[in-house]
Amino acid sequence: MGSSITIQGLHAGYGSVRVLEDISMTIGAGEIVALLGTNGNGKSTLMKCVMGMLQPKAGSIIAEIDGERHDLVGRSTEEIVDLGIALVPEGRRLFPKLTVEENLMLGGFRAKARADIKRNYEFCCETFPRVAERRAQLAGSLSGGEQQMLALARALMTAPRILLVDEPSVGLAPILVARTIDAIKLLQERYQLTVLMSEQNFNQAIRIADRGYVIVHGKIAFEGRSAAELNNNDLIRKFYLGV
Amino acid sequence: MASFNERAATLPCLGTPACGMSYDLLINAIVAGLLLGGFYVAVTIGLSISFGILDIVNIAHPAFIILGAYVVYIVNSQFGLDPILVAVVMLPVFYALGAGVYQVYFLSFERRGQAALRGLAFFFGLLFVNEVALILVFGVDYRYVTAPYIGPSLRLGPIDFPLRMLIPFLTAMVMFAAIQLFLSRTFIGRAIKAVSQDQLALRLMGADPTRIKRIAFALSIATASIAGALLIIIQPIEPSIGREFIGRAFAICVLGGMGSLPGTIVAGLLLGVVESLTATFHGPSWSPAISFGFLLITLAVRPAGLMGR
Repeated sequence: MGSSITIQGLHAGYGSVRVLEDISMTIGAGEIVALLGTNGNGKSTLMKCVMGMLQPKAGSIIAEIDGERHDLVGRSTEEIVDLGIALVPEGRRLFPKLTVEENLMLGGFRAKARADIKRNYEFCCETFPRVAERRAQLAGSLSGGEQQMLALARALMTAPRILLVDEPSVGLAPILVARTIDAIKLLQERYQLTVLMSEQNFNQAIRIADRGYVIVHGKIAFEGRSAAELNNNDLIRKFYLGV
Repeated sequence: MASFNERAATLPCLGTPACGMSYDLLINAIVAGLLLGGFYVAVTIGLSISFGILDIVNIAHPAFIILGAYVVYIVNSQFGLDPILVAVVMLPVFYALGAGVYQVYFLSFERRGQAALRGLAFFFGLLFVNEVALILVFGVDYRYVTAPYIGPSLRLGPIDFPLRMLIPFLTAMVMFAAIQLFLSRTFIGRAIKAVSQDQLALRLMGADPTRIKRIAFALSIATASIAGALLIIIQPIEPSIGREFIGRAFAICVLGGMGSLPGTIVAGLLLGVVESLTATFHGPSWSPAISFGFLLITLAVRPAGLMGR
């Protein structure tokens, strides 16, 4: 039984500013779906709506977690996390004055995650050896790349079925971007996660994505049913890559 | 404590090993300071949670300690129960009181983003309401408790351990260890340490920040029950005596490093020793000046406090 998200007719914004207009998309079980678009087009707003951090003005967001359907609109962020949906937020949002280990342990807060905390912790240490080496260090003292790995590892500690990753490559050197993207793919395979990843770095995102949506000015401008379709598209060249 | 003449006579040979008398005085002053410091730790630990970790400027914390002391006084004088036992039994009541105060604070100020200044005024108000209420009920007379360990002393060679100070010291250390274990080993404890750093990130871990803060604040007020019992064991109390501890408790919090419990214990013991040494060798009236001078120098060298992160 897999886990998926179905979004229909989603409208959202801040005050009178409309950011998202009539967004409909599905993230199918076990898929990696890329949410593409440049800055200010509504990618993070969409993530916030899914996580209950922003109430949509209209539309529905339905998550199916291991065969059970849940309406996400109107639920608090904590409840949504508790269903098994995790977000690696933009800017990573680690607890800078806690140690790496304390950050990871906090990931295991929800009841379901506590049961598997040991196994998940060992897996995190094995997957991210650099992070494990620094377990006694303060999270704020890690380099940008290490912080991104820790943020991913911490989200994994919540034992999610669906993983949302918002702009994982922001502020990272190109080699670290590639590593971060590889890590997301690794986690997805290992835990059979369903992944929605927003990314500005088109070429990196497309390496691991099964499908993708391009958002322009709060609307879905193009839906690519495969990585190849995204790669050879005029709209993308025009709106996005600027060539 | 040595009389003034004795003290004056021993001053010149301070630190010279040949002079046994001054050594005794020095060691006794240090031991007395450590015992006093242990009590300071008990007074400050609740503030380290509310002010240090949660960023709630609970200036009324000493008022809750005085309240705890009066509860202990009532039960002790009526039924003769042990002060510390009374405080332990009252823990859930103070915990509930703390949860209630936090709820009012949250609904009235924090939720509207007006926590900083109006919150301070709120706690100032609580401080005065508590003080005036206690004066109206009990008057301004000094009150004290009776217990078998108030009076006798334990002597180890030249060193004097008054039980009146030793029992509070040990109680404070047990309370400190319990809270430190709770904060570092439990999920709620770690969430408490994280909550003021990033509430949204804590939500993403599946924890409700308001609930976590309520638990933490309630815990901080619960410690006031124990600290109140220790206070009234150490000295007789009257309603406004809490004011003496406001400056000291905040100083220990800052000296140790905001939010650092190990820092609180080091700073508390250190301040106790500094005060005791000053009182022994220069007279008690110098104590506040020396201890706050010590605080200023420490902050000049280490702005984050002794063990601040």
